[in-house]
Amino acid sequence: MTQPVSIIMIEDDEGHARLIERNIRRSGVNNEIISFANGTDAMKHLFGPDGSGLVQKGNALLILLDLNLPDMTGIDILKQIKENKYLKASPVVVLTTTDDSQEIKRCYELGCNVYITKPVNYENFANAIRQLGLFFSVIQVPPAAS
Amino acid sequence: MIADAQRRRTFWQILLFAAGLLVLTVISAGSVYLVNKARDDSKWVVHTIEAENQINALLLEIRRAESAARGYLLTQAADFQGDHDKAVAAIIPALDKLTRLTGDNPAQRENIEKLSAAIETRLGQFAQEMDFVRRGEPEKAAALVREVASTDATAVIAKVATVMIQEEERLFRLRTVNSDRSQTLAASMTGIGSGLVVLLALISIWLVRRSARARDDAEARLRDANVNLEAVVDERTADLREANNEIQRFAYIVSHDLRSPLVNIMGFTSELEELGGDIFRRIGGLTHVPADGPPPSTGEIALEGPDKQLSADFSEALSFIKSSIAKMDRLISAILNLTREGRRAFQPEKIDTRELIEAIVSTLAHQAAEAQAEIHVAPLPDLVSDRLALEQIFSNLIDNAVKYLKPGVPGEIRIRGRTKLGYAIFEISDNGRGIDPKDHQRIFDLFRRAGTQDKPGQGIGLAHVRALVRRLGGTMSVSSELNTGSTFTITLPITWNASNRNADQ
Repeated sequence: MTQPVSIIMIEDDEGHARLIERNIRRSGVNNEIISFANGTDAMKHLFGPDGSGLVQKGNALLILLDLNLPDMTGIDILKQIKENKYLKASPVVVLTTTDDSQEIKRCYELGCNVYITKPVNYENFANAIRQLGLFFSVIQVPPAAS
Repeated sequence: MIADAQRRRTFWQILLFAAGLLVLTVISAGSVYLVNKARDDSKWVVHTIEAENQINALLLEIRRAESAARGYLLTQAADFQGDHDKAVAAIIPALDKLTRLTGDNPAQRENIEKLSAAIETRLGQFAQEMDFVRRGEPEKAAALVREVASTDATAVIAKVATVMIQEEERLFRLRTVNSDRSQTLAASMTGIGSGLVVLLALISIWLVRRSARARDDAEARLRDANVNLEAVVDERTADLREANNEIQRFAYIVSHDLRSPLVNIMGFTSELEELGGDIFRRIGGLTHVPADGPPPSTGEIALEGPDKQLSADFSEALSFIKSSIAKMDRLISAILNLTREGRRAFQPEKIDTRELIEAIVSTLAHQAAEAQAEIHVAPLPDLVSDRLALEQIFSNLIDNAVKYLKPGVPGEIRIRGRTKLGYAIFEISDNGRGIDPKDHQRIFDLFRRAGTQDKPGQGIGLAHVRALVRRLGGTMSVSSELNTGSTFTITLPITWNASNRNADQ
């Protein structure tokens, strides 16, 4: 990666967050991972205090998003990210327990780049996250548009 | 209460009708009787007049005979003699007729007797007078006439006749009054009867109108009730639909949220397993290698004694946890799938049922061949329904039939269908192991199974099938005995009405 990419992880379940982080690290990805346990904090970080997203200008971000959050739905966050001119180019990976086809379709329609269902089987889970980590290590992430 | 009033009204109407009939009959009978009586009375009046006439006629004849006799005495002309003879000849029949006419009255009979006696005497005198004249002895005849005038025969005749006429006149008055009364009675009877009939008719009309009004009211109430009922049914249906949707959402959210911690449990259990492996390797390394020796190489290090036992216990505990998690995951997935099915919108289309079932049978051909089962599909009614739902229903049932055959007995599975009152009835019967009647309800419950548990399964199929059948607006039932095979009967509407259920979505 030409530029340090920050991974923003929005995941309310601490356990899941820990497992995801651990498996990403195991795949050899050493980028900074910033975790948020609720949507409000994540939104504040992504869009800044003024809500414009200007704070992220020039930063390369990769967003890991859970759909089931205590304070808002991940879909709302996804929608706002993809409607924001600074953030819309940042890849969003939806990583959630929901495997409802309607929901999946909806996310892709809103501009989600990858949709992964968390497998309960840990081997599959770990495998999926590690592959995602490998994927992270090769993809090019554009900096937030200016 | 309404039925009571209705009964009372009917009773009154019948009573009225009967009363009307009775009045008519009485009037008719009374009229016939009174008319007859009036005719009778008139007849008697006429009779009296006739009797009076007859008396006068008789008196006239007697007078004629008398005056002819006197004429003959004076002139001796043969003309007077002929006149006299004619008059005398008429007297007896006239008297006979009078006797006949007054035969009904005892008082008159007595008078007649007196009259006849007097007339007879008078006739005898006439004969004598005429005899004297004919023999040329007019003086004797004149003397006889003078004598006769002084005797009482003529006076008696006149007196009796007067009495008789008076009697007849009395009778005439009496009978006229009688006749008038009869006629008045007949007239008033007819009048009153007609009035009564008219009155009854009026009451009847009033009753009929009242009952018609009651009926109209009842109809209006019924209509209102129907409209209300429809509204109530709609409301209830909406409530039920809402409740059902809520349950669906609830199940979905619950099962979904149960899954999230499960990921953690499974994840950290696996992490723990790995950690455990690391720890036991380390223990093994520590116990085997002297403190100053080289560090333990990678690879399995055999543990000994209590350490080995510890490691085995550790692994066992973890494997129980993991298998339980896997099971729980399967159950949650099943609930999720069921609720997802419950949320899926049906797409009704025309379905060749037989083709659909043949396709299912062909996908099960391998299992059927293994179980030595033959599947017979009879002609089936076509449906307008959701294809996917029907496929799931029939493939579950046929799959079950193939799966639970009696070991060692060639299977025979039959699929039959017929239609009845807008519904198609399908029967899937087999000669398999059957289901104990006490389990007939249980097999439709989620995660419940019955009989020997020698086949893999979650206890979801039939619960799923029943949920689908219900959503399609149908019903299903089973009839079965242990060891004699089972028959599952599904009743589905021939045309699934999208408006009644899809609105939930």
